[in-house]
Amino acid sequence: MRNTGFSLGGLGLAHLLAAEDPDRAASSSKSPIRPPIDPDQPYAPRGGHFEGAAQQVLVIYCPGAVSHVDTFDYKPALKKFHGQKPPGLPSVTFEGPTGNIAKPFWEFKPRGQTGKMTSDLLPEMGSLADDFCFLHSLHTQTSAHPQGENFFNTGFTMEGFPSFGAWATYALGSECSELPAFVAINDPRGLARSGKNNFGCGFLPAAFQGTDFNARNPPSNLNRPASLSAADDRKTVNLLRHLNRKHLEKYPGDADLAARIASYELAGKMQTSVPEMMDLSGEPDFIQTEYGTEVGSDLKRAYARNCILARRLVEKGVRVVQLFNGSDPSGGNGITNWDSHSDILKTHAMQAEIMDQPTAALIRDLKRRGLLDRTLVVWCTEFGRMPFLQSNGTGRDHNPDTFTCMLAGAGVKKGFSYGESDEFGHKAAVDPVEVYDFNATILHLLGLDHERLSYYHNGLERRLTNVHGHVIKDVLA
Amino acid sequence: MGNLLHRVKSGSLITFFLLSAVAIAVEYEDDVLPILEDHCVKCHGPDKQKAGLRVDQRLSLLRGGDAGFPSLVPGAPVKSHLIERIRSRDASEQMPPKGERLSEEEVELLEQWIRDGAEWPGQMQDLGAIQSNHWSFAAVVRPDVPAAAGNPVDSFITAKLAARGLTANGPADARSLIRRVSTILTGLLPEPGRVARFLEDYAADAEGAYMELVDELLSSPHFGERWAQHWLDVIRWAESNGSESNLYRKNAWQYRDYVVRAFNEDRPYDKFVREQIAGDSLGTGEATGFLVAGPHVPAATVGREPSAIRQARADRMDEILQTVGASIMGMTIGCARCHNHKFDPITISDYYAMTAVFQDVEFGSRFPEFDVEHPRRKRGEKLWSQIADQRKILRRTGGWEENWGAYREWHFGAVEAGAIRLRFKTPNVTIDELQLFGPAERSVNLAHRGRGATVRGFPAEGNEGRNPINRVNDGEFGTMAWRGRVEKNAQEKPWIQVDFSERVKIDRLRLSSNREYFFDTGYLTQKPNLPRYDFDLEVRQPDGKWKSRVGTWYITRKLNELHPERKEALAEIQKLISRLGEEGPQPGFVGRLIPMQVTRVLHRGSPESPRDEVAPAGLDILKGNLDLDSEAPGSKRRAEFSSWLSDRNHPLTARVMVNRMWHHIFGSGIVSTPSDFGSAGAPPSHPELLDWLAAEFVSPTTYQPQAWSMKGMIRMLVMSESFRRSSQPSPEALDADGGSRFLWRFPPRRVAAEVLRDSILQASGKLDRRVGGRSYRIHNVKKTYAQWEVVDNHGPQTWRRMLYQERMRRVDDQIFTAFDFPDCGQVRAKRPISTTPLQALNLMNSPFVVEQSKFIAQRAMREGGDAREDQVRWLFDCLLSRAPQAGEMAACEGVTLQLVARSLMNSNEFGFLP
Repeated sequence: MRNTGFSLGGLGLAHLLAAEDPDRAASSSKSPIRPPIDPDQPYAPRGGHFEGAAQQVLVIYCPGAVSHVDTFDYKPALKKFHGQKPPGLPSVTFEGPTGNIAKPFWEFKPRGQTGKMTSDLLPEMGSLADDFCFLHSLHTQTSAHPQGENFFNTGFTMEGFPSFGAWATYALGSECSELPAFVAINDPRGLARSGKNNFGCGFLPAAFQGTDFNARNPPSNLNRPASLSAADDRKTVNLLRHLNRKHLEKYPGDADLAARIASYELAGKMQTSVPEMMDLSGEPDFIQTEYGTEVGSDLKRAYARNCILARRLVEKGVRVVQLFNGSDPSGGNGITNWDSHSDILKTHAMQAEIMDQPTAALIRDLKRRGLLDRTLVVWCTEFGRMPFLQSNGTGRDHNPDTFTCMLAGAGVKKGFSYGESDEFGHKAAVDPVEVYDFNATILHLLGLDHERLSYYHNGLERRLTNVHGHVIKDVLA
Repeated sequence: MGNLLHRVKSGSLITFFLLSAVAIAVEYEDDVLPILEDHCVKCHGPDKQKAGLRVDQRLSLLRGGDAGFPSLVPGAPVKSHLIERIRSRDASEQMPPKGERLSEEEVELLEQWIRDGAEWPGQMQDLGAIQSNHWSFAAVVRPDVPAAAGNPVDSFITAKLAARGLTANGPADARSLIRRVSTILTGLLPEPGRVARFLEDYAADAEGAYMELVDELLSSPHFGERWAQHWLDVIRWAESNGSESNLYRKNAWQYRDYVVRAFNEDRPYDKFVREQIAGDSLGTGEATGFLVAGPHVPAATVGREPSAIRQARADRMDEILQTVGASIMGMTIGCARCHNHKFDPITISDYYAMTAVFQDVEFGSRFPEFDVEHPRRKRGEKLWSQIADQRKILRRTGGWEENWGAYREWHFGAVEAGAIRLRFKTPNVTIDELQLFGPAERSVNLAHRGRGATVRGFPAEGNEGRNPINRVNDGEFGTMAWRGRVEKNAQEKPWIQVDFSERVKIDRLRLSSNREYFFDTGYLTQKPNLPRYDFDLEVRQPDGKWKSRVGTWYITRKLNELHPERKEALAEIQKLISRLGEEGPQPGFVGRLIPMQVTRVLHRGSPESPRDEVAPAGLDILKGNLDLDSEAPGSKRRAEFSSWLSDRNHPLTARVMVNRMWHHIFGSGIVSTPSDFGSAGAPPSHPELLDWLAAEFVSPTTYQPQAWSMKGMIRMLVMSESFRRSSQPSPEALDADGGSRFLWRFPPRRVAAEVLRDSILQASGKLDRRVGGRSYRIHNVKKTYAQWEVVDNHGPQTWRRMLYQERMRRVDDQIFTAFDFPDCGQVRAKRPISTTPLQALNLMNSPFVVEQSKFIAQRAMREGGDAREDQVRWLFDCLLSRAPQAGEMAACEGVTLQLVARSLMNSNEFGFLP
């Protein structure tokens, strides 16, 4: 059944797709490095700025803000001051008046060889403590979710800037010629708060936007319409090929026309390769069991399938896979994402049930297959939650001033913790990490200098890290 | 003479006293220079100028560094940034950053020196006006046209080609030409009949036929639709807010219609600029939709921290400045928000002076101001007179109720009163405003507290004591309402009493719960609440007794039972009201005007660090002083600013706009960065041509019918030979000028998303050509906090031009968005043109394309003739404007007409401008 799609046959051309570039002579040690993009094959693999430790990235993004003080950032002082309100803590935060300090809602225990203290909320992920590099001192610029998501994923709180995945594939193309270079696997419940902006291309060419699908829903218009047969498709494609060949004869060597012909080729391949990726029936039982596709809530089982899909995509060499664990609506009953303004005990537990087993299985599986040697895994969220409760006494408000994210796999230290929040987990205290630094470090691991990966747009060389960011050398293996 | 520190130190304990109270002259050479040399010069001197500052020049200190604050304000040490940074206790601010700090004596010496006027021998003449030699800030000087006959545009282009040794292509064939010019001017492919006629005419008289075609296209209503889209791209106009809830912006499309009309009526560009900035005082109120075109984060979604609320307002102001700067000025004004612009002569003071201009603008809705000739106003007057007719019918039998969506209005026979009272029959009422009107001045709210009316009522403090009664006549709509709530079975139900300052005659009453919500947004599952409260309206008699005058029960139920004929009139009124809301003047998301605060420069862009007051002004370097102060009313600020911008001598305005038109016609601007004419942007490829065009734009000598005519300029460009050249490649020329920047050929390019979609609809005969009005929807009705989802992107209601597709930020329409259609998050002066497999999938498989290919095939059978070959020929004619070649005809053998149409729509030839 291969090549039943509408492939048109490629036409190699040496023309390079120039970035929107003003005629300015620029060359210094930090001048932009333009990726050599062949318009005929915009996703062909390209070298980075230097040899990177990682070739691929899997980003596991948790919309809604995971409470660091209830998961990975152990703060004994919270127990000591439980129910009190030490001076110096704010009286009003994002959602309004604040309440008292609350100890973690789940017990912390030492895990792994390193004895890293993590909580019982995420025991499976905790069991991988020796594989993770924890960053405990991240802080961000906003305490609103959509702006926080934008900032984390695009480097700007405003909308319309290219996402991390778009930047990475713009620079590097992909190792896989049959699948999109950048795949966004959405939560079974739908898009996150900032929607497509989290994996959009902003002002980069549309070729580099993330293609979104998950284990349940294929990309839109992937499949042949029901009213047409395979023979119909073949006929359409044959005629189209004829027309385009004739037309190209009038414009010999035109790169744009050739590129468009090539895009039909890739589309044809995707019609076969994407359903193949989504078909998990060939996955053995022990894998299904390990990921938990048969046990637990509906959402957890659907997310587990997304995790298997993520592994399959990484296996195929897709450059960036962005896996979401949470979707849009804010507040409410809390089961759409990690946002837990009330009854965090219940809502975080519901979300953890979905995430814990499948995510841990995914990382273990990647490791077992040797894929962590070439793949960087990033686990992240837009900000943290407060060490004290809201005035309702059951939820924790947004905390932009410190939160925890994790790295694992290619190029990063294992069983390592970097940075610290203050004694309550309220503000970053030791080695604060800006989101810019975090993104600069990920780009560095991919062999990209965040200061030279830029694109001219409306008067500025735009970067994922704006005009900021330092690679966090201490976390590099 | 010796150093003053040494001179006074010997006396020592009285140093402080001496310096502050006794006038001992501080000398620059002896006292100040050594301090600066010891502590500052290493980083801020001749060798290094960190943060763009050097302390060895008085001028540099007067201007200050990148932070944008003068380091030195003679006479005012408190305002001198130098002192602030030296005295700072903040480790990230204090100077010097490392090493020994200045002693208290040294700082006081500097302060004294500044207080005395910062005398600096030999440097007192340089007062520090900003200067720039950047080309785009220089006045436009009309250059001589290189000697050659014909269109001056060609003279410039030819001269440059000759200088580069490039040979120009010959003219394009007539078929390519009509496809090219039709697509560029109207965004639609030419219809087969028109192509045939053009070919005939062209053979007889090429020049005449082409000129006729161009004039026909320019006068087509579709011209404005196409060119409006270009403008909307630049200002990232959309019909939703963006950000978290991404709410719909009700009736924002009034602005889109304004832009279409402006292009179709050939509104002079200077007027176009003025109306969009100050339309509220020019009778085109909806034009200010321009100012609020960008995305915004509503105050309600940034949380409760006051600093976050201030930050959000500053961010919204920045969106306005981005829009104005990028679109009209071609400047990245936003770069000066936190410090002086790194590349261009725009200071942080300029930035905040411009925010002062727009201080009365907020993202939201208002009733647009229309002059008497405005089409909406004229239509509205007609509808109003019809409403009046129906009211006359109702008045014969008594009072009645009208539902205006935002509020309900009760009409009753006029009555004179010193006080009235509303007694509600329900235990729970929410009212943001109560208004009473009389027959004397029909639109004056007699209950407004500004008229001296006072209110009292029960429960006076409202629900939980947080929603007091005085909100019902404060003139504010929205969530700040009175919430009168009592126990369900309570004896005393909520009531409101209004005491007028004098006896008045009233005959109408309006109540609303959240009028702002109704005006601002829509399409939400939680509808804005307009409950039906039953009440009695009582009037106080001269003897102090209350007498019931109107009861809602009586006029909305009883009376209608007694007089069934009223039903028809009531229904007719409701119909007229909804038509008025669609076609007449109506509130829309075109900007809310709010009371102003004094504008201050924000240190490092932070609203938490307000500094000096600034007056509303344009850019200092372009003589932007408007002679206004913080007392000036908002509309005057914007009107003055727009006059400054649209002045014919403004060096940016005309250049930026002619370059935009050039960009859309030739595919790339003379300045290839159309929204950045600053020094980080690209220099012009044909500087003389650009200036000639700019000069011609404002004072026409050739083609232009009037100054600032956009149609005239566009006509001149498409009439040029340069535009009419063949797009065929030539290996030699490609080698020298691969991008065809010097126009040895017309550069071919992929057409925009809209052109694809609209042309497909035109080919199928399904295109609904109505101009303007409410957008068609492809989305669901959603919850406040949820994403818009595409529910129908291909049904008959969507068969209008894509310009009218309701534009929700961040939403992918799942077909044409993939063709680089902007997400309206950032300014998009030019769209990238990329090629992706998703485009191929969408154009092959989407229900829209498959359905339309069926319609096109049906049309071919109806109109192409009986023979199948003729039908295939018709398809080629319709989609490619040409007949099939023999080989192509053979390739169509055995392929259904629908599939032929599907192939043609996917072909490169269909998707590329020849």
